[in-house]
Amino acid sequence: MLQIKELVAEIDGKQILNGLNLTIGDGEVHAIMGPNGAGKSTLGNVLTGRDGYEVKSGEVLFNGKNLFDLEIEERAREGMFLAFQYPVEIPGVSNMEFLKASLDARRKHQGLEELSSFDFMKLARETSAKVSLDAAFLKRGVNEGFSGGEKKRNEILQMMLLEPQLCILDETDSGLDIDALQVVANGVNAMRDGKRSFIVVTHYQRLLDYIVPDHVHVLAGGKIVKSGDKELAKELEAKGYGWLEGEVA
Amino acid sequence: MSEQVESLIRKDYAAGFHSAIESDTLPPGLNEDVIRHISAQKEEPQWMLDWRLKAFEAWKQMVEPTWAHVHYPKIDFQSISYYSSPKSMKNRPKSLDEVDPELLETYKKLGIPLHEQEALAGVAVDAVFDSVSVVTTFREKLKDAGVIFCPISEAIREYPELVQKYLGSVVPQKDNFYAALNSAVFSDGSFVYIPKGVRCPMELSTYFRINELNTGQFERTLIVADEGSYVSYLEGCTAPMRDENQLHAAVVELVALDDARIKYSTVQNWYPGDKDGKGGIYNFVTKRGIAHTNARISWTQVETGSAVTWKYPSCILKGDNSVGEFYSVALTNNFQQADTGTKMIHLGKNTSSTIIAKGISAGRSNSSYRGLVRINPGAEGARNFTQCDSLLIGDRCGAHTFPYIENRNSSAVIEHEATTSKVSDDQMFLCQQRGLDAEKAVSMIVNGFCREVFKELPMEFAVEAGKLLEVSLEGSVG
Amino acid sequence: MTQPVQPSDFQKRALTLAQQRSAPAFLQTVRQQGLDEFGQIQWPGRKTEMWKYTTLRPVEAFANAEWPADDVAADGEQLASLPELDATRLVFVDGLFDGAASDELPDGVRLFSQADEAARVVLDQYLGKIAKDIDPSRRNLFAALNDAWLTDGVLVYVPKNATLEKPLYVVHLSTAQAAERVANQRLLVVLEQGASADLIEHYLSADDASASFVNTLTEIHVGDNARLSHTRLNLEHEASSHVGAVHINLQRSAVANGFTLAEGGELKRLDYQINHCGEGAELNLNGLYLGRHQQHVDYHTTIEHRVPNCTSQEVFRGIVGDKAKAVFNGRIHIHQDAQKTLAELNNRNLLTSNTAEVDTKPELEIYADDVRCAHGATISQLDETALYYLQSRGIELPQARMMLSYGFINEVLETLPHEGIRTALQKRLRQRFVEEI
Repeated sequence: MLQIKELVAEIDGKQILNGLNLTIGDGEVHAIMGPNGAGKSTLGNVLTGRDGYEVKSGEVLFNGKNLFDLEIEERAREGMFLAFQYPVEIPGVSNMEFLKASLDARRKHQGLEELSSFDFMKLARETSAKVSLDAAFLKRGVNEGFSGGEKKRNEILQMMLLEPQLCILDETDSGLDIDALQVVANGVNAMRDGKRSFIVVTHYQRLLDYIVPDHVHVLAGGKIVKSGDKELAKELEAKGYGWLEGEVA
Repeated sequence: MSEQVESLIRKDYAAGFHSAIESDTLPPGLNEDVIRHISAQKEEPQWMLDWRLKAFEAWKQMVEPTWAHVHYPKIDFQSISYYSSPKSMKNRPKSLDEVDPELLETYKKLGIPLHEQEALAGVAVDAVFDSVSVVTTFREKLKDAGVIFCPISEAIREYPELVQKYLGSVVPQKDNFYAALNSAVFSDGSFVYIPKGVRCPMELSTYFRINELNTGQFERTLIVADEGSYVSYLEGCTAPMRDENQLHAAVVELVALDDARIKYSTVQNWYPGDKDGKGGIYNFVTKRGIAHTNARISWTQVETGSAVTWKYPSCILKGDNSVGEFYSVALTNNFQQADTGTKMIHLGKNTSSTIIAKGISAGRSNSSYRGLVRINPGAEGARNFTQCDSLLIGDRCGAHTFPYIENRNSSAVIEHEATTSKVSDDQMFLCQQRGLDAEKAVSMIVNGFCREVFKELPMEFAVEAGKLLEVSLEGSVG
Repeated sequence: MTQPVQPSDFQKRALTLAQQRSAPAFLQTVRQQGLDEFGQIQWPGRKTEMWKYTTLRPVEAFANAEWPADDVAADGEQLASLPELDATRLVFVDGLFDGAASDELPDGVRLFSQADEAARVVLDQYLGKIAKDIDPSRRNLFAALNDAWLTDGVLVYVPKNATLEKPLYVVHLSTAQAAERVANQRLLVVLEQGASADLIEHYLSADDASASFVNTLTEIHVGDNARLSHTRLNLEHEASSHVGAVHINLQRSAVANGFTLAEGGELKRLDYQINHCGEGAELNLNGLYLGRHQQHVDYHTTIEHRVPNCTSQEVFRGIVGDKAKAVFNGRIHIHQDAQKTLAELNNRNLLTSNTAEVDTKPELEIYADDVRCAHGATISQLDETALYYLQSRGIELPQARMMLSYGFINEVLETLPHEGIRTALQKRLRQRFVEEI
């Protein structure tokens, strides 16, 4: 699904990714862990095309297509989804309107008909129930006045509606209590269907008790310094990141 | 990213066509004879002519206001033609079948079909073309309800007692420079009277079209809502694309008698000039309503057109418990300038007013909110809430807020807030990451910013307004 | 269109007065420019935007004014009433320096009239020029008058990375006994890079003083990384008229903290003009105004954000009752280059009588998109729930009103850095509210 080869990227002239390699197959869940400042969030932002991140070299193929030939919204329509670490508020734009516009854009790209308003509302209500968000949130402005947990659940709601192929969760667990964490994990697990892939970026092992990864990678100094299975996450939790410092150099 | 937002603004002005319609147009210039000619064309009674001449005398003594935050070359009032009428209107057609098909086609192109069977259900339209009213639809149906909806020129002849009683009662002839000019030379406009206790069965609408070159449009609208009545009225306006600036100086007067309610909505889309600031309408308008006991006046405006806008729809809250509302979206792009806002004059006890003003500036434009809230000593228990928000798109535009708050009553509560923001990179990224293109993202964010105002518009027009905004913003992103 | 200017009677008299006093030769240029300019300014009327809500009639009443006697001195009782402060005190009486009542001038503080060569260089560079660093259409006519009337003043010069050791406490006392007396007061503060100073201006009048018109101008240059603390109190009695202005230029990363309080008078008009000239400059300005009887008090503040990454925070509160009138105008101007500006203004008013008036006009003029600017203004009464709460605890209504009014003011008063002044003002204002019960 995704091949990242020798990716070098910088922000404000500061190199953050230093030749990162990563391959993600269909249906796989990859956890990316690492100390603060390792470039974890940068990876998600570079893959989705956020402004301000400059790709200096390397290649990324997304389903065989050169990712960097695509605009932000084209990547999204091709099925790449980023659940934001800090979801943005858009005052006055109702969640419903925003979700419908997004879904319409994605479906149009897939050659599907737009959903009728009625069908969309039904789908949106059902999905919001799955992430334990009251349907009233659909009428409110996008993330406007939402609590931290509500914002994160709203991200999962969007992910479930848009049915992307590759979901990147950028520290979705940060600031969540255990209940909200379970809602997020249940959402992700329900979407695991053997085809869809996930990149779960996290600082803590806790989330991986609920979303069990196929692969765990340690990102440090802008590259993957160690890969393993879920046991690696436990080891990191026990030992911290310090013991890997040798690998960075 | 903001460069992207900026270059989103570049679509054609859809209403910019000119209709090839033969017209009788007065040569440019303004003097007493011109006023007499207009009055004669309209077959007006002597009192109306006298009223006009009095206004003209006053106007000659007045100077143009310069306090607004707008800049434009001095207007030569002698180079404007003050009257233009389609030739076919010489003998006003008795029915739609007699109206010049070219005229009907013009309105159809603008999305305002005048044949009743094609028209928007529930909306009666008075179509004003340059200086004359072409046709007013659904008059029979309205008559059944006792509602008078007709061109003001006709009302002067047919309902002189009503017109004499209320014309100039809210905006006196000498009120300001442009109101005085309008009082002297106004050509047409709409007259509405809603009898006691009647809820007007349909939305009323006037559609103004400037077509002729070098012609000013000076319409005059008078709406009287008798005790306990209700009316919702909407005006729209467009003009052809021309390199020359054209003057539009209208006056609108609203009278809401005890317990009456008037809802007045405007979608102003006069030609704004081209991307270099060439051409466009100078829109200098005086709008004011008086609210008697328990009455309520709501102004809602979506201002996207005109090169220069100078406009302050106001409420005199004379009666106890009367309510004034002003909901405004003013969008300027390229070299447009808007200085707009409201005045809420609280005279009666327990009067309340709400002001929600949203200004959006893009390109090299400037948008200003200018407002006055005045609480007189007798306005015991008066309340005002004002919220002014500005959104800037790009770093070459300006957004300004000039609120005047004057309070002379110790029981009044007044709250004013203003904020400034921009379309943030983060908001853009979120929308695009969800698959929306930049243009859609900006229009969605801007529409969201204006939501509180759009929800005050009649349903049919809220959608229109949203689309209009989208068109006006084009080229501001990309 | 420009019509020839017809000077008002006051303007003519003011020009005559200017000729009656002499000044050191090195001030002559500034004086002459002031004379020329003031004579040419169209006297403001109701339609002059800057004077829309404030009539200059009280100033016009000084059309036959004289200078007060030049041998007056502060008496011991007056001096004893001043707050306890660990500061260098300079006393001026009716615009003239009272050496006997003043402390010895510390290093860096000079009278203009005693300027040495180095001080003259500073005067030459800054005097009159900071007040002129303003949009010409908004030029303050009383600043021009202050130039014209200039005979002396206080110069504070703090060199690079130095600190003025003690706060400088400049007292201006009006004592003139005969009617129609005018006075002029002038300060220039120059803080070089990394310097810091603490300045307090205190205006008051003797209890038995007659009506007077005092015109003051303070110009302050805050250099790169320099820090200014500025406090200004206008506590003259209510028969007095005072028109004053404080002009501050902030250079790169300069910080200015200001506090001002005015009690109304026949006319009190105070202008603050702050220019953010260097990136990273920071301004905090808090103000209070109080009006009762037939008093008039007017604050005009203008913040010019000319460069990026600066901040300004303003909080002004006022209480106005009886037949008094308060005017507040707070303008924030963000220039095109001033990206990443953070500017906020909050103005709250309590109106306690139907014959009083508050006119407020917060203004934003913004030409940069990536900024955070907001203003808010309210005019209201004391919070009814809070009144009820106090009453429910057994406090009588008038007492409850007094407590809440004082609390409304005290919240801002608490930001005053000088304890001595704060305590004195708290006592004074508490007394004022008690009187009003």
